[in-house]
Amino acid sequence: MREKATTIYLGPQHPGITGNMMVRLKVIGDTIVSAQTEVGYLHRAFEKLQERRNWLQGFTLMCRFCVPESDPMENVYARSVEAIDGREVPERGKYIRVMVLELARIATQLMWYAGQNGSLGLYTMGQWSIGDRDYILDLFEELTGGRVYHMYQWPGGVRRDLPEGFTDKVLRTLDYLEKRLKDYDDLMFANSIFQKRTQGVGIVPKENIIEHGVVGPVLRGAGIRSDIRIDEPYEVYDKLDFEIPTQEGSDIWARALVRRAEVHQSIRIIRQVIDQMPSGEYFNKFPNPLKWIVPAGDAYVRVESGRGEVGFYAVSDGTIHPRRMHLRGAAYVHAITLLESILPGQNIADVSAIMNSLGTCAPEIER
Amino acid sequence: MIAQIKAVFPEAVNKDYDGNRLDLTVNKEAVPSVLLYLKDSMGFRHLSHIAYVDWIEQGEFELVYILWSPLDKVKLYVHTRINRENPVIENIDMIWRQANTYEREIREMLGIEFTGLVAPDEFILEDWDDIPPFRKDFDTLEYVNRTFWHRPGREDAQDVRSTISERSGEEIPDFAKKYSR
Repeated sequence: MREKATTIYLGPQHPGITGNMMVRLKVIGDTIVSAQTEVGYLHRAFEKLQERRNWLQGFTLMCRFCVPESDPMENVYARSVEAIDGREVPERGKYIRVMVLELARIATQLMWYAGQNGSLGLYTMGQWSIGDRDYILDLFEELTGGRVYHMYQWPGGVRRDLPEGFTDKVLRTLDYLEKRLKDYDDLMFANSIFQKRTQGVGIVPKENIIEHGVVGPVLRGAGIRSDIRIDEPYEVYDKLDFEIPTQEGSDIWARALVRRAEVHQSIRIIRQVIDQMPSGEYFNKFPNPLKWIVPAGDAYVRVESGRGEVGFYAVSDGTIHPRRMHLRGAAYVHAITLLESILPGQNIADVSAIMNSLGTCAPEIER
Repeated sequence: MIAQIKAVFPEAVNKDYDGNRLDLTVNKEAVPSVLLYLKDSMGFRHLSHIAYVDWIEQGEFELVYILWSPLDKVKLYVHTRINRENPVIENIDMIWRQANTYEREIREMLGIEFTGLVAPDEFILEDWDDIPPFRKDFDTLEYVNRTFWHRPGREDAQDVRSTISERSGEEIPDFAKKYSR
């Protein structure tokens, strides 16, 4: 007997979906035969709003593009304006930026630990890692005044210098986290439920993987050593010593191992940054922001976020308002063309786990 | 690598302020063939972004295809201009599959038609019947005033400062008056 396909809607409000978006699934039994991503539940027209704002006001919107990961967005905005305007950043400002970016990467991966395990019904891990992420948010609060949205990296440097004794607190937090990561391994990677639910599931085909726009941990999980921090070094990444972890499996398990290794590398980077941190200025002043005219030009800058490449295209027509701001997030490709192509053949129960491992972030798609 | 591209495309320019960057401006008719050549023969395998800008003063839309060569570490911007009156350009999603999503967005936000694009009509917007919202002649403020309205009974809450001062009888300080509507 020929079975009839049923349509089911995953989202837009669903605990397994990262953000508000919907995946329309056609299923036979519990096997997916086709999938289609539908977005539009979060559209806030940030890019349109930027056109009415001046160059400084634009920066306050940037961090809001993706909720769990605000710092890479601030970084691309600041660097794109610096590129067009020919503005230099003092060395200390660059080191502070790298420290913030790497702390943000750890916070993002801790959030991912929670999401990935939560999507498989393993909730203890999430309680641990979200709790530990709060220690990093405490650091951000002390440094920037904000826990989630920091508005800290702006054109010309960073907004404030490090508070007294801040680097000691960072080092103490890193020591603590390193101890905790061993517990995470026991709870997550040694857990046979996690192994069985992730190994061989959600495989991203390796054929033409670069051409299909796959970036970040998903690409490295397929054995390709690609990272913008080494491909196109920004800030001071060329002066730091770190490795780019890769895995061969191209499944959820491989991507999990990549992310796990990245947390260790981030800790290594932050220790070096604190060790090499120069003294001096942290910010080169820009002109009166209400009259700040950025010369005509355009620039596309990229940053390696915890979920992959984030690019930002800024155009100035030589006025106080940006002509155009356009963000490219990792999820723009991962959550639509990639997700739609790898879901057929998978089980309904694995959809959330696959979405989490691809680093889906709905607000980044709609901007 | 940069020299090689310049040999094939003599009009390509280096912009000095942005490192390993190369700019190329092509006719819209040549876009698919140039991109295919760059991808297959020059190693620009990664389509990083398709950006769009409305240059209303010149009556043109601009599309910028930003390519990245993983081997040579070169970033290439392929610019093309499209007439605003008849905005049609060739679809390129057979070269890079993910271009389909970008083109859906551009079709919706600027109203550019991509010949041969197969994709659902709506992407982000739902039941949109105005001009495409990313065109510069789309007035956000006018649209909001036309489409949305104040909740009845809340008309007096529009200027918070004066409402509070009327209720409490306190004077608004001079510095605050400056910023009141």
